[in-house]
Amino acid sequence: MTWDPRSKAAIAGVGTSQFARDTGLTTTQMISNALRAALDDSGLAIGDIDGLYVNAGGDFDKMAEQLGMKVGYAMQFWTHGRMCAPTLQQAALSVAAGLATHIACVYSIDISERGGGFGGGRSHGHEEYREGGGTHGEMAHYGLTHPGSGAAMAWQKYRHRYGATQEQLGAVATTTREHASLNPLALMQHTYTLEDYLASRFVIEPLRLLDCAVVNDGAVCVIVTTAERARDLRKKPVYIAGMDGLHAGRDEFVFAPPGLGIWQQPESSVAARPSRVYERAGVARADIDGFYCLDSFSPLVIFALEEFGFCKPGEAAPWVAEGNTRLGGKLPVNTNGGHLSEGMLGGWAHQVEIVRQLRGECGRRQITDARVLQFAMGQGVSNIYSNEKL
Amino acid sequence: MSQERPLPVITEQNRGYWAAAARQELVMPHCTQCDKVFFPIAPVCPFCFAADPDWKKVSGRGRVSSFVIFQQAFFAFFKNRLPYAVVQVELDEGPRINANLFDLKPEEIRIGLPVEVTFEKVNDEITLPQFRPLVRGT
Repeated sequence: MTWDPRSKAAIAGVGTSQFARDTGLTTTQMISNALRAALDDSGLAIGDIDGLYVNAGGDFDKMAEQLGMKVGYAMQFWTHGRMCAPTLQQAALSVAAGLATHIACVYSIDISERGGGFGGGRSHGHEEYREGGGTHGEMAHYGLTHPGSGAAMAWQKYRHRYGATQEQLGAVATTTREHASLNPLALMQHTYTLEDYLASRFVIEPLRLLDCAVVNDGAVCVIVTTAERARDLRKKPVYIAGMDGLHAGRDEFVFAPPGLGIWQQPESSVAARPSRVYERAGVARADIDGFYCLDSFSPLVIFALEEFGFCKPGEAAPWVAEGNTRLGGKLPVNTNGGHLSEGMLGGWAHQVEIVRQLRGECGRRQITDARVLQFAMGQGVSNIYSNEKL
Repeated sequence: MSQERPLPVITEQNRGYWAAAARQELVMPHCTQCDKVFFPIAPVCPFCFAADPDWKKVSGRGRVSSFVIFQQAFFAFFKNRLPYAVVQVELDEGPRINANLFDLKPEEIRIGLPVEVTFEKVNDEITLPQFRPLVRGT
């Protein structure tokens, strides 16, 4: 029998820097603010941190040096939101295996400093020039230069295949902003009607401005420890109950569900490959009280609901339009406002929201009796969290 | 933002593709073991892992499998082309490639549209495979 990582690790503390269009701060400055907030949240001191996992925001060694950390287990991940859940998974496995006791997982982004935002000029390390295309399907010599182009390509195909409407997509954009208006951390605080949405300009048609994430600076820190240790700390533990990894290969495209036929994906009408995250967490899909997914572009919410089996292929768009993903609906989605309106934090602010929801700290946007919450994104990666040891 | 057109970097892996395009030929990497053509360009066959694929000229015909229309330029070079379309074309031989679509207004593009390759010479080294609507009977 294999060793079971279920609920062996927990989140002890979360913290954020200020989120702003341009903080004027370096990523290390922002990380120091997020780390301080996470330490305060957990009751730990900087000297207790013996692991540092950097998803983005700088080099682990320079960071530890500047922040006065003494860590015995450091890791550096790739600068992408898709590495958010895997970073936490590796931290959970590491503390469970005794390689470290309190791991600070950090992420920071300074898109304003990079200039031009994603997709142009000197953005994001010239990813659009990579062999075989950029990491979101970019191909700059054809003017396919923005991460949103991959999501736009996928949504075009999806609506052609299933007859989904722009009004249904607009429901993702308006619902998410409604949630953000209840979150003091969120960069966008105003709500939009469907008419506002339909009047917003196209950026990469069929995606409108309101289908795209805000572009901002900010940092997040999440401290991971063992389930036992978490019980002695300041706040109620949030257990990492189940995990499924990042899938890769020709069946996968970051911004399309498997089978849609984007880029080299084989096209099929077969439902998404089943996720193993539920059995690994020991829950049924029906036990999920709220769903958090990477939403840099609004079609991604529709795709994630289908990829993880909440809706059959082609059925998520009308399901969202019926209001099922609003607070108080069947499955509240991205109650923080997500990348679309809280801020583009590589999925990390979603983790902060999950933790605060499971502690009951979310005030007007609190999911009643939240017990089991799921984070997920394309390519199959997902974590399930609970405030009970599942 | 730079005014220059962003261009692919030629490497040992992709040299054959760009050399063919400069001769106005569209080629795909081809597996000498299992005979499949594939994309993107890779050091081995992604279907059977055989090494040393060669190049095979393809028909240059296919259908638009998806497309987007840029209404905003993220590189200065593309500003005067706005609005411009980028299509994903499924070649008759199977692989899908991205390109621009010429000779058709963006609003007239549809998924399933039959297209054929055409070539846009950028400089002595780079010629970009592009597409235009297939003229029936040619």
